[in-house]
Amino acid sequence: MPHQCTNCGRTFADGSKEMLSGCPDCGGNKFQFAPTTAAAAESSGGAGADGSGSVDTASDSADASSSEPDNVATRAAETVRDWVSADSADDSSPEAAEQPLSAGSTAARESDRPWPASDDIDSGDSEPPSDGEFEEWPETARRPEDRSGSPTESTGKGSDEQSHSRNPSDRPSSGPTATMADDENSAQADARSEVVPSDDLPTHAEHSDKGGAEHDGDAGSVAGQHSEAETGAGVDSDDADRPPEHGRVVSEPSGQRPSIEDLRAELNEQFESIKIVRPGQYELNLMELYNRDEYIISLQEDGRYVIDVPESWHDDEDD
Amino acid sequence: MGLFTELKDSISRATDRLFSEQEPKRIGIYGPPNAGKTTLANRIARDWTGDAVGAESHVPHETRRARRKENVEIERDGKTVTIDIVDTPGVTTKVDYEEFTDEMDEEDAIRRSREATEGVAEAMHWLREDVDGVIYVLDSAEDPITQVNTMLIGIVESRDLPVLIFANKTDLEESSVKRIEDAFPQHKTIPLSAKEGDNMDEVYDNIAEYFG
Repeated sequence: MPHQCTNCGRTFADGSKEMLSGCPDCGGNKFQFAPTTAAAAESSGGAGADGSGSVDTASDSADASSSEPDNVATRAAETVRDWVSADSADDSSPEAAEQPLSAGSTAARESDRPWPASDDIDSGDSEPPSDGEFEEWPETARRPEDRSGSPTESTGKGSDEQSHSRNPSDRPSSGPTATMADDENSAQADARSEVVPSDDLPTHAEHSDKGGAEHDGDAGSVAGQHSEAETGAGVDSDDADRPPEHGRVVSEPSGQRPSIEDLRAELNEQFESIKIVRPGQYELNLMELYNRDEYIISLQEDGRYVIDVPESWHDDEDD
Repeated sequence: MGLFTELKDSISRATDRLFSEQEPKRIGIYGPPNAGKTTLANRIARDWTGDAVGAESHVPHETRRARRKENVEIERDGKTVTIDIVDTPGVTTKVDYEEFTDEMDEEDAIRRSREATEGVAEAMHWLREDVDGVIYVLDSAEDPITQVNTMLIGIVESRDLPVLIFANKTDLEESSVKRIEDAFPQHKTIPLSAKEGDNMDEVYDNIAEYFG
């Protein structure tokens, strides 16, 4: 029972849209994310996961994402990895491959539960059938929801073959930031079924940094060339293509990509007098060259340069 | 006795030069690439010292290091003006080796481009630190209103340096001195052809007057 009306105590399944128009029982519009003791026992830091009551599921999910324990991300990552490896080599973790189908009731490995959870929510927005099993779902189920802001990145391309695990076609893959409870579910479903637009991958990478390095690694294995392209682009060039503001990157380290942007901006500032477009092609800022005390006396092939810093000599002499 | 007097005069002249409050003015020859700066510098140097300053070329950025010719004594009306002339690399905001690939192989073109860029940096540095006056050379067959020209002349003006504008290449058909005069009416423009040696008398008159 992830959400609970703070007025009358009615609970709502994660992703329920009923609460969007207020509590059907008492009309209350304040809800809390209600982790249960079992969720806490799961020790995934479920304690922090209370969404601090909000009608707006988007903000709710944002809260959830920010408070989401790393374990969840890790588990989700493991799940994805399992699926993928199951896809490519069934023997690696066959049960993981089957898991999604039977998930709602079977509850095989704990790490797999979170993902199936949304199936159940799909089927019925009401109370989870079995509290015991569902207690951990809220938070884990949130993970995809969380990602829905940057749609479906985690599964990458390998995931169309995963469609056996989900029913992706019933909803558009767009609908990023879960504005409706149902959309959250679709996003969750899509997260495991749709092909990722490569543009969206970077955001995921930033998200996954939050989840942990191993998740990033998983994304690499899942998304295959997508993630390669992503890291390649991130490291080498074209950060401009990436929409860094897309998705809910909160405050966690956003990985190397933004810092490379920063670095580039920094470099541009430092090298504003001469811009090396490429070897043999230069753009010069005459005013900057004129204004500087030091001046470049030698440009090296590798982009380094030698400068003359007359002022420092003067200082020495003066001393 | 005559010998002694001569010796004394000579020492006196040397002393005057050594300790004169007025060192030879250092005149920077500036302008965009291929305006004829080196041709002009060579013309002046040959006329008054017999030496040349540097190699000339129709390929832009032939001059990639500033070159100085010191103690060029120019006599006008019985009066001698001594200047150092500094021939600077052509100033530009963009250097592209592909401009030169017709003339040389790619590797050389890239090196030329790199050196030219270094040369611009050096020229700008000289402008800031080391020149007492500026001869701004323009190809009178080209449109003088460019970012580089406007900026450089602006810098010279901001430093209150004496400046003469030389409308070079008057031997070319497309040459238009008036276009330059109109572009920079606040400065004296002198037409010339450094290559042909046309109008050099007026050039030297003005150098002596402005920089003497």
